[in-house]
Amino acid sequence: MTVFARDPRSPFTLVPNSMQAFGQRRARHDWILTGSALALALVGAVLVWAATRSTQEAAGANPNAFLYRHLINMGIAAALGVAACRFDARLLRLFGPAVYCASLVGLLAVFAIGTTVNGAHAWIRLGGGVELQPSEFMKLGLVVGMAGMFAQRARERSDPTPRTSDILIALGLIAVPLGLVMLEPDLGSAMVLAAASFGVLITAGVPARWTVGLLVLAVLVAVLAVKTGMLAQYQLQRFEVFANPARDPQGAAYNVTQAHIAIANGGLFGRGLFHGPQTEGGYVPEQQTDFIFSVAGEEFGLVGGLAIIALFGVLCWRGMLIARRADRAGQLIAAGIVCWFAFQAFQNVGMNLGLMPVTGLPLPFVSYGGSSMFAQALAIGLLQAVRRAAIE
Amino acid sequence: MTRRPVPARRFGIIISLVASMVLTLVARLYYVQVLDPNKPRQTAGVLHDGDVVVPAPRGLIVDAQGRVLVDDRAIHVIEVDRDRLLELPDKGASVLRRLGVLLNRNPVQVAKEITPCSPTVPAPCWVGEPYQPVPVATSPPMSAVLTISEHRELYPGVTVLTRSQRHYPDRTLAAHVLGYASAVTQTDKRSNPSLTDADLIGVSGLEEQYDAALRGADGKRVVRLSPQGYPVADGPSTAAQQGLTLVTSIDARLQALTQKALITQIRALRKQGKPATSGSVVIMAPQTGRVLAVASWPTYDPQLFVGGISAKAYRALTAPGANDPLLSRAIAGQYAPGSTFKLITSSSLVMHHEISLDGRYPCPGSVSIDGRVKTNFESESFGGPISLEDALGYSCDTFFYEPAAAEYYADQRRIDEGEQPREWLQHMAASYGVGTSPGIDLPAAEQATGSYADRETRLARWRANRKTYCAEAKRGYPDVANPTDRAYMTELAAENCTDGWRYRAGDNADMSIGQGETTLSPLQLAIAYSALVNGGRLWEPRIGWALERPDGSVAKTIKPVVRRTVPVSAKVRDYIMKSLSFSRGWAVSGAFAYLNSPYRNQLGGKTGTAEVFGRQDTAWLATWGPVYRTAAGQPRAKLVMVGMIEQGGIGAFGAGPMEKQIWDGIFGVESKRVLSGEGPAATVPHVRTDGQ
Repeated sequence: MTVFARDPRSPFTLVPNSMQAFGQRRARHDWILTGSALALALVGAVLVWAATRSTQEAAGANPNAFLYRHLINMGIAAALGVAACRFDARLLRLFGPAVYCASLVGLLAVFAIGTTVNGAHAWIRLGGGVELQPSEFMKLGLVVGMAGMFAQRARERSDPTPRTSDILIALGLIAVPLGLVMLEPDLGSAMVLAAASFGVLITAGVPARWTVGLLVLAVLVAVLAVKTGMLAQYQLQRFEVFANPARDPQGAAYNVTQAHIAIANGGLFGRGLFHGPQTEGGYVPEQQTDFIFSVAGEEFGLVGGLAIIALFGVLCWRGMLIARRADRAGQLIAAGIVCWFAFQAFQNVGMNLGLMPVTGLPLPFVSYGGSSMFAQALAIGLLQAVRRAAIE
Repeated sequence: MTRRPVPARRFGIIISLVASMVLTLVARLYYVQVLDPNKPRQTAGVLHDGDVVVPAPRGLIVDAQGRVLVDDRAIHVIEVDRDRLLELPDKGASVLRRLGVLLNRNPVQVAKEITPCSPTVPAPCWVGEPYQPVPVATSPPMSAVLTISEHRELYPGVTVLTRSQRHYPDRTLAAHVLGYASAVTQTDKRSNPSLTDADLIGVSGLEEQYDAALRGADGKRVVRLSPQGYPVADGPSTAAQQGLTLVTSIDARLQALTQKALITQIRALRKQGKPATSGSVVIMAPQTGRVLAVASWPTYDPQLFVGGISAKAYRALTAPGANDPLLSRAIAGQYAPGSTFKLITSSSLVMHHEISLDGRYPCPGSVSIDGRVKTNFESESFGGPISLEDALGYSCDTFFYEPAAAEYYADQRRIDEGEQPREWLQHMAASYGVGTSPGIDLPAAEQATGSYADRETRLARWRANRKTYCAEAKRGYPDVANPTDRAYMTELAAENCTDGWRYRAGDNADMSIGQGETTLSPLQLAIAYSALVNGGRLWEPRIGWALERPDGSVAKTIKPVVRRTVPVSAKVRDYIMKSLSFSRGWAVSGAFAYLNSPYRNQLGGKTGTAEVFGRQDTAWLATWGPVYRTAAGQPRAKLVMVGMIEQGGIGAFGAGPMEKQIWDGIFGVESKRVLSGEGPAATVPHVRTDGQ
């Protein structure tokens, strides 16, 4: 692996560095954070393989195709992550708006040239079988953009306490991508965006009356959306199914029911790799993406499921450690990323376990899918960059 | 850059939120995997089962001697197993190409037809189970069948199967009674979920009436499927249960003779210039209530309906000029019975003491009823008063007019005195089954009820139609070309408009000779005459005799039902029988065709020549025989035959020769006897269909 170092004169020029330099940088790198992300991705590789090999084989395709593509995605993600590590976090404040705007452009592009997958118009087809989901990058873009804004304005005033104007700008920054994602419609991503920005707002010291007020507003909007039919039919159905899965076992509740069967029959230690009848039979739709946790639940049992949850716990813990030591912008970024990961993991595992309604969200690092893994790798890299900036 | 410590509680909020999420997930996971007392059961075996329907052969319909009327014929079906094709290196393209050449079809089209339907695969596509082989050709050319069987290596995944198809070997023989079976529709499946596409459903005649018994139970072959739905092994299978055999009391040879005689008569009448548009014959056994032959002309070939009738053939059958060949005149048609109705009139008049058996009553050439002149046939007069015996034999109409009119006036007097009218003639008609479905074992919609007029129905109909009558009287039928007809119809409409509610003496007189609004189906007349010659029992007749299992054992005997005994004393019945015996020669109009027949003395019968407005007369003849006596000395007959030719003219000549041809066959005159005896078969034949 080639190790890159940043040329201090330019944050984007990468030059090869010596092994000695690597050794010195080691202390500044949180290997536990990287390790837990890598571990999740590797577990994901095994689970994606288990979820797809038998159905692939039956369809006459290469049983390992998904495994290979997952591993390739990991490689690309690693490269992106390493690149993000090299970024000078102290400049984030300045680059925040650019990152935010670039993400927003991607999101807007969906409406011009996007394609529809599973009812959501959320993808851009790049050709050659490569598809990007800009809303994944928007999560990172929003966190960085908000953090940059708060930090910049605090620095200009030399007062970290956000003013009402700051908060209103922040709300504007949130509202635009949130609205666009809702239009796709991608409810899951919208919820994650909301959770991540909530983390940033709290960390920024926004008064409780704002945060609580926003929560109340969110609930009201949700109620209104359901009442006025703003949600797509399939989204409403998913909520109804969430409330009562037995109602429509062949339709919208099918995924939930099948995933529940898989996990419930995993028991303490699972049925063993490639031995889960529910998984190997291909009964759980979208199992390599949204329902990847059910593979772990069935084939590795309680132990496997707990291990994944624990890895996320470690990830969040390390993220919060970084946030604690970081500067103003770094704090906001780290807290936002932790909230993003935590909420997305909770939402995904929760829907596998029947705790949360079904929204099309991948389990971070574990699920099959390039865009989300790339965005998350960039986020991990960014956390490392923030950590390094704090130590330096 | 200045670093200001963020208050710890802000991180605290996030940390506690994250921690609570982790704890929630851990708790839920533990519950789902370990604690949950109602864990969902794992239904996904590595294998699961798919069902392939094995259609049951439909039961045969046989005649009273066990001769086949309807059977199942083996036909070839070519099926393609798409999964096998997809395993081939070229995904079956070459096989489909070869198959296309063989069947003279476009292989691309065949490929589409065998692809299971899905949201992304539009029609034409396979709507059945994805693992089930798809039939691509039914009754293909023999060359294709042989090629595929001989060169299996060239046609992997292609199989030739034999399936059974309904077959009516004698084409039009008893077509109206047998009916036909056709493919199951979506509507049928909704009303009976156990039906499958492979089944046939009877939609007319006996095929419909005994559908459930004939259909049998489909078998099932279980195919073990991989979790992805690919067949990997054969599971248990249940054999199809063949439908029961329906043994009928129809005698195929008598039926064939009857149909032949009917057509011969119609052709002869047409040569004489009569329209003879349609006709029918019913033969039943009055002692058992079973039907031996039912002929109706014009007729059709039920085979046309097998596998779905072509639009062209259906149009031909239902075209206006086709004269409705699907209609069973014998059972579903109803016609004015003319003088054959005098059986009922005589029964009523004598039983209600309006005339007596030893009295003599006038039979003038014409009588005036209610100011209208009613005449005998060709205004024939028989001089002085005559007995009922001669009135029946010569078929004198005026003989019956007077007492019928008298009965009417008596009823009117009763009404004037505030009493109910008795309407004896109407009640006797009802007792003989007129106005009620005969209750034969055919679909209810295929049985006519017959009709007669009385005061109540007349009033009700007038109330319902008065406006139309009055409007028509005003308009005066401008589109009717014939001025005489136009004048008559206008007058009738005007009368109906003002007086249509009124039941008149003339109506009662008309009814007494089977005219006016009196109608009957030939079957109903046969049932009525059966009651005359069987001791008064009015049957709900049956065509089905027994349902038999494949081994020939009887699963169920189908028994005709005695609906009632007609309220006519044995003395009166015997008198009428004797009056109409052909042994009286010229004295009985029905005997004209039989004067030289050696069996003449064993028959009796009544003619009918029914006038129909705007058409030529309907020819009727109801005969019975051979006559025998019971141990108690009462006369009985083994068979009753009713023949009817629409626009066939005088009964004795329009229907007489036709029935003579059939009786000749029954008595074996100048030919072999068509029945084994001179009557119906006594015991049900046992028909094995299991090949033992």
